[in-house]
Amino acid sequence: MFTGITRALCLLATLLFASCDNDPHPKPLVERGRDGGPPLVRYTYQSEAPRSLDPQEAYDQMSRRVLEPVYDCLLEYHPFKTDPYELIPCMLEAMPERHASADGPVTYLCRLKKGIFFHDDPCFPGGKGREVTAADVRYSWQRIADPKTECPVLSSLWDYVTGLKDAYELTQKNGGKFDYAAPFTALEVVDSHTFKVHLLKPYPQIIYWMAMHFTCPVAREAVEFYDGEKHDGKRRERFKWHPVGTGPFRYVHELSDHDNNFRLVRNERYITTKFPTDGWSPKREAVCRPLAGKQLPILDEVQIRILRETIPAWLLTKQGYLDSFGVSKDAYSSAVTATHELTPELLARGVTLEKDVEVSTFYTSINMDDPLLGKNKKLRQALACAFDAATENEIFFNGVREVAQQIIPPGIAGYRKDYRNPMGFNLARAQQLISEAGYPGGMDPKTGRSLEITMDTSASGADERLLTEFEQKCLEKLGIKVTVIENTFAKKIEKEDKGNFQLSSGTGWGADYPDPENFFMLFYSKNMPPEGKNISRYKNPEFDSLYEKMSTMDDGPDRLAISHKLVDMLNDDCPIFLTNHKAFFSLVQPWAPRTHNNMMLEGGVKYLCLDPTLREKKRAEWNH
Amino acid sequence: MIAYIFRRLLYAIPTVFGVMLITFILFFVWGSRETMAKAQLGQRARPTEVRNWLHEHGYDKPLIINAAWADSTYHHAEQPWWDSIFIQQIKNFTVFELGESDFNREPIGEKIRSGMIPSLLITAPAMFVGLFLAVALALVQVFYRASALDTGMTVACAVLMSIVPMAYIISAQNLMAVTLKWFPAFGFDLQGWGTIRFLMLPVTVMGVIYLGSDVRLYRSIFLEEIAQDYIRTAQAKGVNARGVLFKHVLKNGAISLITLVVAHLPLLIMGSLLIENFFGIPGLGGLVVNALQKQDFAIVRAAVFIGSLLYLFGLLLTDICYAVADPRIRLS
Repeated sequence: MFTGITRALCLLATLLFASCDNDPHPKPLVERGRDGGPPLVRYTYQSEAPRSLDPQEAYDQMSRRVLEPVYDCLLEYHPFKTDPYELIPCMLEAMPERHASADGPVTYLCRLKKGIFFHDDPCFPGGKGREVTAADVRYSWQRIADPKTECPVLSSLWDYVTGLKDAYELTQKNGGKFDYAAPFTALEVVDSHTFKVHLLKPYPQIIYWMAMHFTCPVAREAVEFYDGEKHDGKRRERFKWHPVGTGPFRYVHELSDHDNNFRLVRNERYITTKFPTDGWSPKREAVCRPLAGKQLPILDEVQIRILRETIPAWLLTKQGYLDSFGVSKDAYSSAVTATHELTPELLARGVTLEKDVEVSTFYTSINMDDPLLGKNKKLRQALACAFDAATENEIFFNGVREVAQQIIPPGIAGYRKDYRNPMGFNLARAQQLISEAGYPGGMDPKTGRSLEITMDTSASGADERLLTEFEQKCLEKLGIKVTVIENTFAKKIEKEDKGNFQLSSGTGWGADYPDPENFFMLFYSKNMPPEGKNISRYKNPEFDSLYEKMSTMDDGPDRLAISHKLVDMLNDDCPIFLTNHKAFFSLVQPWAPRTHNNMMLEGGVKYLCLDPTLREKKRAEWNH
Repeated sequence: MIAYIFRRLLYAIPTVFGVMLITFILFFVWGSRETMAKAQLGQRARPTEVRNWLHEHGYDKPLIINAAWADSTYHHAEQPWWDSIFIQQIKNFTVFELGESDFNREPIGEKIRSGMIPSLLITAPAMFVGLFLAVALALVQVFYRASALDTGMTVACAVLMSIVPMAYIISAQNLMAVTLKWFPAFGFDLQGWGTIRFLMLPVTVMGVIYLGSDVRLYRSIFLEEIAQDYIRTAQAKGVNARGVLFKHVLKNGAISLITLVVAHLPLLIMGSLLIENFFGIPGLGGLVVNALQKQDFAIVRAAVFIGSLLYLFGLLLTDICYAVADPRIRLS
């Protein structure tokens, strides 16, 4: 009997091992590529699941990464022109035409490209996606004002777009049911493919909103069909989990689950955009030149995995099962040398290293309403000069981030590459400034003891604690005593909203759109919390007046001069002290070279390319 | 027996109520609702958005009862006194209406149902294979007690117990997925027999993580048993070593094992927080870790509720099994 059992176990083990390999990916949905060769399937990952795939609702980066390939926007960022960032038409035939009237209101005339279709889906008659019209754009803008949609940017837009606030308030008054048949003054449909956007006052930044998915067209049929209710005994998904877009990739909801993986396949009817014919950097010439003018997307399928831990992502990258990898702290020493180059092992594999700088700035906010700090400019300047951002960058971020010299991050008009913050790190100056502030050697003459300041953080892990401790030690070099108050993230926000802090560490801003106005508004006195984001509670009439002026101006030398002036004012007044612009390294596999590094795109998947033959060869080499 | 079970079920009601009350205090009384909303909406959310979010999620009601003296901020005069968050939650949980996720408004009941199978596919084999191995090794140790083999195995168990679970996970992924290339380092695909290749690595790791402590514990149980008088009597009557070990020590020691094992059986559904997260298993453990990371308290509350019910069920099951396995025990 034992012999029989042993044989059976051996057979089972043999079968099991014979069927086993270490490839974690499911079989591609697409069997052949456009040219009849192997399909071009990209394997990518992100650290968190999306919150929603409804373009009018989703705001977080993880949702945008899945949404971007599925929904095209009216405009889009040129993939290669990033200094400064540049907008180009996507669903529109051309850039919107602006018509300003003498008394203030502004109108943007927009024309949709013809022949753009929604993805095929059961919500349409016969399951065939219909052509996109101006009425669809109107419907999606109405959805922004519909309280049920919970559009997070509604209150940012209603100050500028005609009738958005009225539509929202009327709906609230009428018990929350939005009347889609009622007149809607924000967007006027001129004909099937032409519409006008009406603004209350000049707001050149509106074109950036047209490059965000909040304003992209959605099909009313899809929103109403996917209502999450039971029909004929079967529950339909909600629209937020069943995107029906117009973009280069179709979302395969049968093979996607909302928490762990997402499958996208090429939209066969996509004709909206082509690969640009110029603008790439010389180092990408060999990759981009053969793709110039080609119909997008280049890939046939994209598989997105949610990998919440970085260790498995690093292992899969080493095995060749991920096409690129954002170098994490765990993997840093195995992937990158002290001189910021690839390790010899990865170099030998043909892997390349890319550095991306996010359009963001981090800083510590100083409460200008605080009786001690708000009234003592020299004291604020002393704190700013005492903080050693470069050493912090070296110790905690391996020197990868960029030390911030100005509130505007790289890539935005007004950013000066060679500019140096006059209140940057200089300990001797800091000590002199604190004396001039009335606290020589950091001593408070009234008490005879060290001046005491509190610093709020949301430190939750060991790394964050060390980071805060570093900041504390930097400031204490002035002879003052800095008490760190640790809060939960939510509690810190609450304190910032109420102005219940002296210093608030680890604050920052990531650009909604690449315009300096999006950063200067953080210091506009009419933008106070909790409605606004002027956490420092900075009030400066001169700053306000220049901000108001530049926020309605078009880009040009005059606006640039104002931007520079505002940066100088902030650096001199020190309502914050700057730390860094977030940056990170990515490993790129030899078969999936980068075509762009545009940080305003959420991956720019439609521009990505792939060599499946090389991937197979390399995977075989690395795994056998 | 039936009366005992009925009584135990009645006892469960105040226990579960207590768990729900403590959970409620932790989430709603110690933390502000506005900050809870901002944790979901992000730092940039404006008060209007926060108010909308609270309304949509039913968090704009008074905490305990709807009375102006109890909560003037959220009091709704037009609603009855029982229109409060706590009473609503008790009502919903009583009929197993677990609500929607704070993070993305997906139905929690569906998420829990879909997470049970992947969790069980990991925890059940890991537990049963681990139990079989641990009992076998413990019996070997007892058989060769006070020998060099026993000492060596005790040291090995101590070593196994001293290694942190993360080290097992990372080493196993490196060894079995990267070096030996047997199994995927990550992932899960419910596709019949093909699923097995995704299970081998996490099941092995989970089994090994608890092996050291289990062998030590079972060895102690069996050693206690082997020192009993009836074993000496059996040996004196000429029962061979194998007979003593399997017929007497294992059988009687199993009564103690039952109390340890059965109590944990229902909790297998809840999965393993660490293993699921590191191996990408879409089970309930991963769901809870993910919810904690995203401050999705609706899921955490539901998981605590389900977990407490399962735990109480496990304890009841243990008592029943104990009575069935040992005729000397009477439940009263």
